Amino acid sequence: MSLLDILTEDVIAVPLMSRDKSGAIMELLKLLKKSGQISNEDEAYDAVMMREDKGSTGLEKGIAVPHAKTAAVNKIAAAIGISAEGIEFGSLDGNPSKLIFLIIAPPAQSGTHVALLSEIARLTQYPTLCDELVEAKSPESVISILQGEE
Amino acid sequence: MSDIIRKILVYVDGTEHAVLAAHYAVCLSKTLDAELSALFVVNTQALGTLVRSRIFLEDEEMEYRNELNADAERYLHHVKAIGQEKSLDITLLNESGSVSGEIKKCVKENDIDLLVIGELSRIQSRRDQFYDETERAMRSVPCSVLIVKDEDRVWEMYDRLK
Repeated sequence: MSLLDILTEDVIAVPLMSRDKSGAIMELLKLLKKSGQISNEDEAYDAVMMREDKGSTGLEKGIAVPHAKTAAVNKIAAAIGISAEGIEFGSLDGNPSKLIFLIIAPPAQSGTHVALLSEIARLTQYPTLCDELVEAKSPESVISILQGEE
Repeated sequence: MSDIIRKILVYVDGTEHAVLAAHYAVCLSKTLDAELSALFVVNTQALGTLVRSRIFLEDEEMEYRNELNADAERYLHHVKAIGQEKSLDITLLNESGSVSGEIKKCVKENDIDLLVIGELSRIQSRRDQFYDETERAMRSVPCSVLIVKDEDRVWEMYDRLK
């Protein structure tokens, strides 16, 4: 399974309206709830923040990958948020996160969860791709960039 | 036993495509009177990448590793049962490392004649084709490879098998 197998335009926030970490995570979770992919955004939020409390998933170069396992989903779900200004995520290099990949997985799907996070880890190795995503003006454009068509 | 195919390896990764491949491999093995082994690879290479990229914490990596090991046991026993239902004994192989690397190693070490795999994932982006581990294995193993498709036909074939 790849990110593009589960990513739809209605779970991509361009731009993110929130200005802080908790608000951005909740904004993305609400998109997943609205799209019918999670049953309870509060439960998912608690799971993501519990993981963040152990150590921030804010990586270098403006990327964050908040993730959690929770029974609030039946199958793995992903959402993307883009903030041109950046959001303080407690990242390794101290820079704000502009590209946020949120992954929520059910407890019994570790293999798929690892595969999806690995794909995102690989994407972050393409600086030009990440720059293009940050510059994207619409969810449609984000999908096209990920497909390698822009 | 057939002279052409004596040893078959089916790669299982927990997907429905892999389960179908296992059913087909059982049919093939019984028909050709060939030995059948089933391989599951715990992708510790991916876990290592996640720790290095700081997406995973060390204890998180350990938690997922344990869960993946449990998945491997569960899937392999499911495959064993698929064989037992048709009175076929399947050798179970549980390895960890890079998926393509372990498949290739297993084919060489066990002198496999035919690798059976499930249908490959749909290519969604240009990058996918560089990273699909099963596809990489298919390209690099020294033996012939069979990709199982047509679900209805496989179920029918398995059901008919004595």
